[in-house]
Amino acid sequence: MSLGTHHGGQGGGVRTDVGEIVAVADRVRGAIETVIEGKPEVLRIALTVLLAEGHLLVEDVPGVGKTMLAKALGRAVDCSVQRIQFTPDLLPSDITGVNVYHQDRREFEFNPGPVFANIVLGDEINRASPKTQAALLECMEERQVSTDGQSRTLERPFMVVATQNPSDMEGTYTLPEAQRDRFMARVSVGYPAPQAELDMIDAHSAHSPLDGLAPVTDAAHVRDLADRVRSVHVAPGMRRYVVDLVNSTRTSPELRLGASPRATLHLVRAARAYAALDGRHYVVPDDIQALAVPVLAHRLLPSPEAGMERLSAEQIVAKLVSRLPVPGPQ
Amino acid sequence: MRALRPLMPTATLVSLVAAVPLLGTIVTGPGWWFPAVLMMVGVAAASALYRLTGWSATAVPFLQIFVMAVLLTPLFAAHTAVLGLIPTSGTFPELVRLLERGIDAVNTGTPPVTGTAGVALIIAVAFAVIAMAADFLAVTARCPGMVGGLLIALLMVPLVVDDGGVAPGAALSAAVGFLVLLSVDMWLRGREWGLPVPDGRDPSVRFLVGLRRAAVAAVSVTAAVLLTLTVPLAVPSLRSDVIHQAADGTYIGNGPGVITTTHPLVSLRSNLASGSDRTVLTYTTDAEEPDYLRMYVLDEFDGVNWAMSPVDADDDSRIEDDLPLSAGWSGEPDGPTATTRISMDSDAPSLDFLPMPYWPRSVDVAGEWYADPGSLMVFTTDSPRTGLSFTVESTSVTPSADELAAAGQAWSAPGSLLALPDDVDPRVAELTETLTEDADSPYERAVALQEHFTGGGFDYDLTPPAVPEGADPLVHFLLEDRVGYCEQFAGAMAVMARQADIPSRVATGYTAGQRMGDGRWAVTTGNAHAWPELYFEGVGWVRFEPTPASADGQGTATVPDYTDGTGGDATDGTGRDEEPERPETEPGPDDEPESDEPTDAPEASATPGGEGTDESAAGPASGSGGWTVPVWLPVAAAVLGGLALVALPALVRTAVRGSRTAALTGGSPAAAAHAAWRELRDTCVDLGVTWDLTESPRATAARLAARGPLPEEARAALWRLALGEESARYAPEPAVVREPREDLRAARAGLVAASGRGDRFRAVLLPRSLAPWRRPRPDLGPAPTAA
Repeated sequence: MSLGTHHGGQGGGVRTDVGEIVAVADRVRGAIETVIEGKPEVLRIALTVLLAEGHLLVEDVPGVGKTMLAKALGRAVDCSVQRIQFTPDLLPSDITGVNVYHQDRREFEFNPGPVFANIVLGDEINRASPKTQAALLECMEERQVSTDGQSRTLERPFMVVATQNPSDMEGTYTLPEAQRDRFMARVSVGYPAPQAELDMIDAHSAHSPLDGLAPVTDAAHVRDLADRVRSVHVAPGMRRYVVDLVNSTRTSPELRLGASPRATLHLVRAARAYAALDGRHYVVPDDIQALAVPVLAHRLLPSPEAGMERLSAEQIVAKLVSRLPVPGPQ
Repeated sequence: MRALRPLMPTATLVSLVAAVPLLGTIVTGPGWWFPAVLMMVGVAAASALYRLTGWSATAVPFLQIFVMAVLLTPLFAAHTAVLGLIPTSGTFPELVRLLERGIDAVNTGTPPVTGTAGVALIIAVAFAVIAMAADFLAVTARCPGMVGGLLIALLMVPLVVDDGGVAPGAALSAAVGFLVLLSVDMWLRGREWGLPVPDGRDPSVRFLVGLRRAAVAAVSVTAAVLLTLTVPLAVPSLRSDVIHQAADGTYIGNGPGVITTTHPLVSLRSNLASGSDRTVLTYTTDAEEPDYLRMYVLDEFDGVNWAMSPVDADDDSRIEDDLPLSAGWSGEPDGPTATTRISMDSDAPSLDFLPMPYWPRSVDVAGEWYADPGSLMVFTTDSPRTGLSFTVESTSVTPSADELAAAGQAWSAPGSLLALPDDVDPRVAELTETLTEDADSPYERAVALQEHFTGGGFDYDLTPPAVPEGADPLVHFLLEDRVGYCEQFAGAMAVMARQADIPSRVATGYTAGQRMGDGRWAVTTGNAHAWPELYFEGVGWVRFEPTPASADGQGTATVPDYTDGTGGDATDGTGRDEEPERPETEPGPDDEPESDEPTDAPEASATPGGEGTDESAAGPASGSGGWTVPVWLPVAAAVLGGLALVALPALVRTAVRGSRTAALTGGSPAAAAHAAWRELRDTCVDLGVTWDLTESPRATAARLAARGPLPEEARAALWRLALGEESARYAPEPAVVREPREDLRAARAGLVAASGRGDRFRAVLLPRSLAPWRRPRPDLGPAPTAA
């Protein structure tokens, strides 16, 4: 009876075939769970962002498995994975690649940087200088790399999983609002449950669990699934619901900065993927309610009043959601 | 849409025409309403036709004024116009003359006023102006609710000028007219802007909306009628006599019961009818037998009521020294002179006419006061302060019977003091003729008339039975039921005196009142009185007293010695002793209770209440041909009615559920899913289970399932219903719920079983889902403000 255990499969007519998405997603989830245990909701958001072709920001204190999550995701899907360790001295060209002059051939040749991959793991993105952050973020938004006047398109699926330490940690450059807005969702991994931590000790003592992780799908398949997710039905009432929700963040006195129109698009795309992962070919309010905090909260700035009441953006979004009536019968 | 433009002016017209009967209690006579209605039709038609053009509404009032002006001529001054339509130079003066006559009639007449042409003109113009204002409010400004203010103003007119209140039928008619206006407006708005109809496809909603509208209309109409009937009970100045009888035993409070008004007879009636006997004034006097305190003199008889002819307040009539002599008085008055110092009670409403003993010689009073030379009324145009004190020097007019008998035919009095309308019933003249046959002098005729009233044939009653519709009140009093109080006695005797060629008028004011222990005299509202004054050449105006003066009549009235009719030797006062005995010689078995002394008002008015009940009980009994209603029948009817009332919500709820169950099969899958889900919602609301509009169907189902021990069957049914509703709402094609009826039944049964006994009981008897305000609403939180 709990949320998501029933897959609505009744009815007929033309519709997205979501059965395969569920099957693939279950396989990927199963694979990753051999590495990271006890975090099904985080995994679900990560898969949602993958299928919705967005980028994921994983924010938490060091050592809780942020990088492990990203690596496991890249390993479970058989595709190219690149890892960039952001440091204060990292240059933009270290990410995008450089043109190298070949003396013998007397021409420049482009040496693609680590961003040319299906899944790019940006570790501790807030340690890099703003200039370097901006270079990555341009790639994320445009899905192409421009060097010396030439644009090179990045291959689909393209997903940046960036990890960042909370902003008050030492030696960090906080991502500005405009750049946080490029990430479709933000999740916190959080500390594992005691039992999961016990299991972890056993699993990690012998060898790295990543070694045993075999790919369960490939990039072409993911691309195909992402195409199908785009056709998940969003009823007019549901679109209105999303717009109302985003609007309420703009008018709420507790927020200094509301969500952008990009947030609206991200929320709808994520909701489609989330519904498909649940085996539905249409979006329901529950999808939006589950995604509102991960998709919206990192884009918002609480007002000073809300700050004094120690209200976080997550709490404010949850409150807004709990006040908005779901769309009724048309 | 253009074709609908005349609809609002027409609806406004309907609401105003429906309000015309409100004036029915203060205007009598046929046809007074016709010009008003015609003028309003003209004004509304001008608005309606003009608005068809779609031009600026600024011109509408001018057009309406033009139509009013055009209509006035054929309606009121047709004989001065060419072909009855085109005004000539004589038309305007004729209209002004009519208007002045109407204003006079309204100012001096007592309600109900006769609907003469002048009065009809005033009413017609007033209604036309109201129609213009209403047209502006309802059509131009499009705030038809504001027309209600105009209607209330109209309603206040009869309430303020008369004690008779408003007929329930008239109030009902006005209320219905107003509702018509509002509903037309609502309907038009619906066509123009669309109405927030919850869901036209759910038959139960349509049923409920219809039911709610009918209920609102019924409640409004009932409230209008009930308020008309009950408000007069609680507001002293609005009491009508009939209701006063029934209610006086429980009457609370002693607010101002006297309306300061220009109608002396109305204030007289309200003085006498008010249950509380409050002090109006106190005075000290050096006279042994103080005279009556006279305030108003009514010298014009219109066939129904006595009215005061207009008085002038100008420099000539301002009081400076001695008052003018009373007309017909030759030489200096030689009666005993008295000095009376009168203090108005500070709680009593201020009077703009001074109560004074007749015949006043000089008045010492602060402020600007005027005296009417003919009647010696003293009045002011200011509003005098309460608690006024003044001193009057007066000479009492106490001629001997011989002097009066010697007085000849009146020749110096104006002829108007003998004038009577042509339509006074000839039977009154016959009666006067019969009574005065044997009398030789005016004095003997006057005495004969007074004896006719005091001779025992008449009963004193402050609340005389109502005069039948269409009957002449004078004839009714004189010849038929012979029951009345001072107003009837004084008025009738004054009419008959004029018929007997004695100039006469009706005076109103107070009797001398009661002597208090400290030598002062106190006059209360119960001492309000009216009496005739008759004019004798060489003597002047002389008071007569036809009203019974005993405890069964106006208790403090005194019969002047000179009216005793036995000649000079009767001035020993025996006449006064005789008076109280006469009515007791043939008292009716049922007239004693109500003809009590007004000073014992609470007792007096409580007893007539009983009599009123008798009368009302007698009415239906005689109407039903003697068949008496068994005692158990009303009881059984009340019990049945009560049961029906108690069962009504349950029945309505069952009907709603039935209409939804019918929608479960046969319709589209979406309609079925919605109907099932609504029924589930209402079931929860009935049971007092939270229904959160911010929850999706599946979240709601999950919460309901987790709420209590629900059987597996009910949980599964609940889940199927939720998924059905969810797909009906959000999926491109709704899924079919296979057994919605069964699922609904199982889910309902599970929810009911999981609820407490009290909740279940309440859900059946008082289903909260029927109350729209108990339905779940979205809680939108605090209004968004600019961040």
